[in-house]
Amino acid sequence: MRKQWLLCVLPKTLTLARRSHPFSSSSSGGGVAVKKVTKANFESTLEDLRTRVREADFVAIDLEMTGVTSAPWRECFEFDRSDVRYLKVKDSAEKFAVVQFGVCPFRWDSSRGSFLAYPHNFFVFPRKELPLDGPAYEFLCQTTSMNFLAKYQFDFNACIHEGISYLSRAQEAEALSKLSSAYENELTNSTNTSQENLEIPIVSTADLLFTERIKNRFHEWRNGIMKNSCTDHYLKEEPGCVMSQFQTVFFKMRPAVELNGFNSHQMKLIQLVLRKHFEDLVFIRTPGEEVVFEKKVVYTDSEEDKALLMREVLEDLHRSKEARVRSAVGLRHVIDCLVSEQKLIVGHNCFLDIAHVYSKFFGPLPSSIMEFALSVHENFPNIVDTKHLLNSSHALQYLMKKSSKSLSSAFSLLCPEISSYPMKSAHASYVKFEVQADEAGSSNWTSGAKHEAGFDAFMTGCLFAQECAHLGIKFDLSSPLTNLATNEKLKGYINLLYPSWNSGTVIDLTTGIEKPESNYKRKYPTVLFSNIVLLWGFPSKFKPKDLKDCISKVFGASSVTSIFFLDYTAALVQFSKKEFVNDFLMLKDTLERNPDDPISVLNPLAGLLEGDNTRAADYDTYKTICSSSASKVLFADQAEAAGIRWKTLFSSHSPEAGSSAETRLHSHHVSCEDIIDTLYAARSVS
Amino acid sequence: MASNVVGKRRWSGAVKQVTKSNFSSALEQIKKHIHESDFIAISTQPTGDFSGASSPSSHRHPWRRVLPVDTSETAYLKAKHAAERFELLQFAICPFRLLGSKVVAYPYNFHLFPRDELNLGMPSYSFSCQSSSLTSMAREGFDFNACIYDGITYSSRAQESVARDRNPVPRMRLMTSSSSPSVADSVFMGRIKSRVETWWKACRDPGKAVDGSLVLSLRKLILGGELYGSRPCLGIDVSSDHQVQLVLKVVGQICDDLVPLIVPDKQGEIKTVRLILTSSEDDKNLLLTEIQSLEEEEDLKVRGFREVLDVISRSHKPIIGYNCLHDFTFIHSKFIAPLPPSMAEFMCSLRLAFCEILDIIHLLKEVGPLRKANNVPAALSYLRRQFFTPVELEIPPQVDSNDKNHGHNVLQIAYLFAKLNNLLKIVPDHQPALEQDTRQVKDFANIFYPCSTTLQDSDDEDIGSQAEKSKKFGTDNVVLLWGFRAGISAAGLKRQLHGIHSVFSENFELQLVDRTCAIVIFHVPGSVENLLEDMRSGSIGSGSLKEMMSDGLKVTGYEAYKKVCRMGLWEADLAESLEMVSSEQTDDLPSNCKNDTSEIYWSSELMINLNDI
Repeated sequence: MRKQWLLCVLPKTLTLARRSHPFSSSSSGGGVAVKKVTKANFESTLEDLRTRVREADFVAIDLEMTGVTSAPWRECFEFDRSDVRYLKVKDSAEKFAVVQFGVCPFRWDSSRGSFLAYPHNFFVFPRKELPLDGPAYEFLCQTTSMNFLAKYQFDFNACIHEGISYLSRAQEAEALSKLSSAYENELTNSTNTSQENLEIPIVSTADLLFTERIKNRFHEWRNGIMKNSCTDHYLKEEPGCVMSQFQTVFFKMRPAVELNGFNSHQMKLIQLVLRKHFEDLVFIRTPGEEVVFEKKVVYTDSEEDKALLMREVLEDLHRSKEARVRSAVGLRHVIDCLVSEQKLIVGHNCFLDIAHVYSKFFGPLPSSIMEFALSVHENFPNIVDTKHLLNSSHALQYLMKKSSKSLSSAFSLLCPEISSYPMKSAHASYVKFEVQADEAGSSNWTSGAKHEAGFDAFMTGCLFAQECAHLGIKFDLSSPLTNLATNEKLKGYINLLYPSWNSGTVIDLTTGIEKPESNYKRKYPTVLFSNIVLLWGFPSKFKPKDLKDCISKVFGASSVTSIFFLDYTAALVQFSKKEFVNDFLMLKDTLERNPDDPISVLNPLAGLLEGDNTRAADYDTYKTICSSSASKVLFADQAEAAGIRWKTLFSSHSPEAGSSAETRLHSHHVSCEDIIDTLYAARSVS
Repeated sequence: MASNVVGKRRWSGAVKQVTKSNFSSALEQIKKHIHESDFIAISTQPTGDFSGASSPSSHRHPWRRVLPVDTSETAYLKAKHAAERFELLQFAICPFRLLGSKVVAYPYNFHLFPRDELNLGMPSYSFSCQSSSLTSMAREGFDFNACIYDGITYSSRAQESVARDRNPVPRMRLMTSSSSPSVADSVFMGRIKSRVETWWKACRDPGKAVDGSLVLSLRKLILGGELYGSRPCLGIDVSSDHQVQLVLKVVGQICDDLVPLIVPDKQGEIKTVRLILTSSEDDKNLLLTEIQSLEEEEDLKVRGFREVLDVISRSHKPIIGYNCLHDFTFIHSKFIAPLPPSMAEFMCSLRLAFCEILDIIHLLKEVGPLRKANNVPAALSYLRRQFFTPVELEIPPQVDSNDKNHGHNVLQIAYLFAKLNNLLKIVPDHQPALEQDTRQVKDFANIFYPCSTTLQDSDDEDIGSQAEKSKKFGTDNVVLLWGFRAGISAAGLKRQLHGIHSVFSENFELQLVDRTCAIVIFHVPGSVENLLEDMRSGSIGSGSLKEMMSDGLKVTGYEAYKKVCRMGLWEADLAESLEMVSSEQTDDLPSNCKNDTSEIYWSSELMINLNDI
């Protein structure tokens, strides 16, 4: 039985729910029933959700993660080059875990003249559910993010104790292929009995006694079976002896003994004894509870029977493993459903979310943003970002005036009906929403709260529908909704995402091309990457001003256009002319080669080189270091972890080829060892 | 009520659980218990570990665990890698006394969470979690919400000194004698002097106390005076440490009732000296104690949980742990300073903080032969079987008992130690030796074993069924081998190698380290040089060795493995890491490393059983 919780049209039906969870005054609206999904109710919810998604006009999603940046210098900066920015997003999606996944299908019900929303909040935890050596079940937590989640009462217990696990497509394929090869191996091995040596390596008298005793026991047991087949046979009880656990059971219509209470070493000895002395007794493992195998010894009456048994056992094993892989796919079933239904996906500033979805559920992230965009587009043909809509539609910009574009503030501004209490009189321009909750199993329903993925997805969806209304898309009573994804009014906004909040660009998922966004106000002047020197490891007392003064003394007052400190160990220095980059690197190298030369000592740069640990290179090195998988808090440490041992790296730009093509000219400046170091720095990346 | 039964259930609720909310009261309590104790047992729970006995998932990088082929140096580097990566969420401490066969224990379990209270990116920016570790904590009923919402934060000693610089808390400072002032200094001092005196006189002048509020605020505007609590106070802007000294000097000359406070800004740079006017000598003393307690409070907030370790450190009591290399690399990196690059430096630095650390693993080795007791329960059951050592454990009830049993490991360690101590008769240094054949703590202290064990309970343990035979080998008898067919068994590979080179015709041992790499130990000295030299020069004939080499087989000495660990190339497969270092020229190895051959304990049963993976 279903109960309708109407938010706008039928406020009376809401009173009950309202009283228990009154809407908070402004941004953080509560009182919306969000379904909490954990391991326990995942299977049942999944079936229900499939139907909801199939019927939906669009599906809003939102993710909560254990962190965003693995080191302070990995934060996205406005002047990051596109490839560097993507590397930072990639690093984030690879290192942090998703702990909540919010999915909210929205369906236009023309008979009611409102949207029906079904917010779901999945708790996620990457659990190791298969005994195969699969992916690294290790993830990073950023302490500030954890505290942020804690501030909004995130339930870590629900997440870790009951979170739903998942396998990506790549992981599933790997698990299945490993499984089938293991199956084939075992099949061939079982027929080939003469493998390995049959010698029992007796290392201690205890082992010797054990093998003798076990041999006698099995003799007795087998003889007993041969004598009075088909009647239960018990071994003579021998107090205090492990053998007393021998008890005949039946396995696939054959007499068998379960082996309990032996340690792994003893198991090995038992197998050796069986192989050496008993042709008709077979040691088998059958899938038991959890990960452990039940071990049995089965009596077979002929070679053919033995082979038949082995095949049956292996098939069982294989089937149960396959079933386990299927169940380990877990949360990805939800993603698969979204992909196969090809629905319009709605997110708020969702580039990072999509990257997480990709790396967790599809496979390793591609190395370039273009590949990534195109691959995402193949899976999700239509994605729309509510934040991009807010920024690029003039109508919406007018409405938003200058207020914050964060999800909750945009939501409370554009959807005041839902977000505020007491409710204002329903205005014509407001789209109406109803949240539907299943009354059975009410313990699974929670009152939505800000920064909870399920509720955030709900807010995102409401915001999107409201935005559509402002763009002139009509949601009328008793008129069905046409496909939003192909709507002319929305066309210019679909599949455009911000690679980061401050990039000033949008990426078009259909083409993979990144373009500057027209109405983005830049804080910094446009950056010429070929004019940049990356400096790190300099004395920590150096502040931006000191650095500028120091360089200006050598290259002239206007030589430095801008300086940006990545952290207190590293800086990007942009020169006014491209030539200065090489001049600077050359000068630094010369000074370091002749440290005791009076000219070196007196050079204004000498202060910068103090400590003999100052490194410099061009912007491409910054990219190399960013792509290293290590995550040191300080940039200088990161550079070392990335395998950089040299002090100065030159590059020259051939004027015709422009900044992208370049040849390195370090043969006489850099030793062979340095090159190798750099090579494996690059390797450790891949 | 004490009995020999060792189990979680019996001890459940005995361990006092400490979070942020009851930290300060627990701190006072544990200080007392530490003071009265003979020994202190500790046990930690990290968010992940590579030692791997806990679950199959950590087998993903089997070679990152401490292996039997590890020297203490490489074992340290592996422990360092784990300690820098993971975070401690629980820290159990149990001060205990030994009264004959009775152990009187006061167990505490501290819940930790690295909260950045001061917004300085401390104690940690981010940390790693292994889902298997978190899952096993969850299985024990660990409350992650309590831990993250209400865990105690901390900072290391090194971080505290940084925080002290950057945390803008006003402090008192002693004046350092300085050289005679320059002209500029004199001008500056003169200016400050007249300003302070004007303000001081204005404050002292009782006639103006009746002024209206307008006049008061006007005066405040002109003189720059403000209030520090209820006392008048004046802020003086300074731009350097030198100027601070000058201000202090001036103030000292003016009057005794002024208390200067130095106020740094967010960047840790000193911007202001605040002068507080006190009304009398008593008032001044009152203010000074007030400031001092404020400072202490602030310091404690920064130190957090580390205060407990500082108390332990100051007490000089012997610390008992199980697998101390693991625990103390964590302790050093979280609570003292970043881990140094070598084991020797680590031990040195650690000893400065904790003078006597007793590793149960070492004590076990003293009692019996080198044997396989992989965890605390296994060791306990071994002792129970082999020796009669009645020990009675008494846990005086703590006021707020609970139903949680987190941190009970520490009780097992205390209990195990008491049993071992019955056999070894170790006497704390401060106690007189009453019996004969007693031994000193220092005879056992500070010996860490490279050991790949954890504290996980495990029911089916191989105990006593096999005496482990291990032999000592110099690392110069070891080579690492990779580039063979994946999925081959150790026996298969050994068969394949047999006879393909003269060194492989003698007896040698081979085990797989992970899927990609095997380790070979030669019994005949000089085999390693022989093999490596022949492979380098290519004088290997045209037999199957050449064939295997052309298929990609590679061999390197132990040095490459050490280098991999030293450089922190923790790739998924060892072969990959070895490939990286061996592609470099070999002559860049520091020569002193080459001759440095350490010994490893090799047992014929290598700890990794690839079938378990």
